[in-house]
Amino acid sequence: MTATLSNTTAPNTADYGGDEISALVLDPGYSVTRAGFAGEDVPKSVIPSFYGIVPSLNGPKHLYGENAVHTPLPNIEIGNPVSQNGVVEDWDTATQLWEYAITSRLTNTKPSNPLTNGLNDKTDDLKQEMDGVETQERPLDENPLLMSETGWNTGKGREKLIEIAMENWGSPAFWLARSGVLSAFSAGKASALVIDVGAASTSITPVHDGLMLKKGTLRCPLAGNYISDQLRLIFSTAQPSVPLTPHYLINSKTPVDAGAPAQASYRTFPIGTEPNPSFRALQEERILTEFKESVVAVWSPGRLGGHNQHGGTNLDSARTQNARPFEMPDGYNQFFGVERYRATESLFDVKMALSDASHHAPTPNQTLPQMIAQSLSQIDVDIRPHLLSNVVVVGGSSLIYGFNERLKQELEAMYPGPRVRIFSPGSVVERKFSSWIGGSILASLGTFHQMWISKKEYDEHGPGIVEKRCK
Amino acid sequence: MSKSGVAVTPDCVTKFNELKLGKSIKYIIYKLSDDYKEIVVEESSTDPEWENFQKKIVDAKSSYKGKEGKGPRYAVYDFQYELDGGEGTRNKIVFISWSPDEGTLVFPRMTYASSKEALKNSLNGIGAEVQANNEDEIEYSTILSSVSKGKR
Repeated sequence: MTATLSNTTAPNTADYGGDEISALVLDPGYSVTRAGFAGEDVPKSVIPSFYGIVPSLNGPKHLYGENAVHTPLPNIEIGNPVSQNGVVEDWDTATQLWEYAITSRLTNTKPSNPLTNGLNDKTDDLKQEMDGVETQERPLDENPLLMSETGWNTGKGREKLIEIAMENWGSPAFWLARSGVLSAFSAGKASALVIDVGAASTSITPVHDGLMLKKGTLRCPLAGNYISDQLRLIFSTAQPSVPLTPHYLINSKTPVDAGAPAQASYRTFPIGTEPNPSFRALQEERILTEFKESVVAVWSPGRLGGHNQHGGTNLDSARTQNARPFEMPDGYNQFFGVERYRATESLFDVKMALSDASHHAPTPNQTLPQMIAQSLSQIDVDIRPHLLSNVVVVGGSSLIYGFNERLKQELEAMYPGPRVRIFSPGSVVERKFSSWIGGSILASLGTFHQMWISKKEYDEHGPGIVEKRCK
Repeated sequence: MSKSGVAVTPDCVTKFNELKLGKSIKYIIYKLSDDYKEIVVEESSTDPEWENFQKKIVDAKSSYKGKEGKGPRYAVYDFQYELDGGEGTRNKIVFISWSPDEGTLVFPRMTYASSKEALKNSLNGIGAEVQANNEDEIEYSTILSSVSKGKR
């Protein structure tokens, strides 16, 4: 029923019995940033966390949004304010990108001061005209803002977030919640072990009585992007190699037989205007995402490198069954059998990792089962069995076919005593947006008004208040 | 303090104290009010049959925006069990948070889970706590083994 609401209208407060507020919920990730009004079922604004950088007369200009990062403008380069380690490195750009996520789709009637939001280039003329009106031109000064954060966000990072909300955006009220806790709650569990398989990171968050256990909260680098890199290695080392040519480089293609070389005419760019390799990498990533969604799977039962009951290896079994076709943008097409499983196997079994000079193999301690074991070893022994029977698996990359079955099998092998139970939300939307949805419900509750950190409290106590209040 | 700001009505505590001191009440089932603003007593009972209690919990419903699903609930149960070797019986008050994995709407799931601490922290004298998300986790034998853990 919320689908009939327009993008720019907050839901009727009467719908959820709340008070006169239409709070905003912002859930930034490495690959995608999600924003929307509290009380809605899904985030209305889902934009890439990547941005385009193009040269202009006034220096490099940033471009935000889906169209901007996928258009091969001359010399376009792709950046991301968040590092591969899941930590914000460029706060100014992050602020602009998140603001774009909110204002472009949700509150576009009130853009912030064009001088300070960075969405326009600075000019001195404009500066004089705009002097004195700054205080009225805050982008979000009517809407309380609930933000999610990673489990490894530092005290400094948390303070920076409330500063951005209060100082840059003029938020009247703010709340910060650990995304693992939001995912546990939206699964109906005050205590859970949350495994969130994202793009740059898999986060492991033990939650007990509604609180994140900081000691056992870990970041594992094996996630969606790692699987993409494994696919790149599989494609480049295949005999003959599998071409990974993005759509923007193809003018036209001719159908070819499976495995035959592509017959396409390729687009060329005038010398000196070619998009930067980072642009190509992002476009390759789109193909790989499609490949992961339609072809890639996780092997089970047993390990791909193990033996089957006929004395052969599971690798042999995988070679002879369940091959799936995939066509590249240039028309090259092939059936993929063992490769489907090969790309994901090293999430669980480091011996199966593919590597080369620029893609290092993970260490044995970095596999998902080993990271989960490390997490559990750091928390109270009495609650370990309880968390093992309440494993919550979320995140886009966990949707890969067979992921949960294999994770359960690995955990049961490591912990033969306690019962292992895995819960994942039934719908794809709830799985991909679990922490946003949790935040949306929380911020929509009529009773939540007493939780918010108000602007007044922030002014009184400074950014340190976030650490005291948002436990 | 809960994470949701949801309040606990005084009646929740009064009834709990009756159960704790009077020994006639066997269990109390708590729920969130229809507007999801406060935790209220849904029912208290002297019925000692676990199966009847279990059925009430499992059949509970919650609705939101005109949709209905299975309902999460909180409950306290005055749990009595035999010690090994005929060493007598023990009573322990068990706090149960019930939120079925299957068939629930996400709104009640989120609201119950984020409000649990508010209720639990206002009840003094809870001897054990159980989080149940599947029907087998609310069987008598499952509860017994977690309640009596280390004390048998």
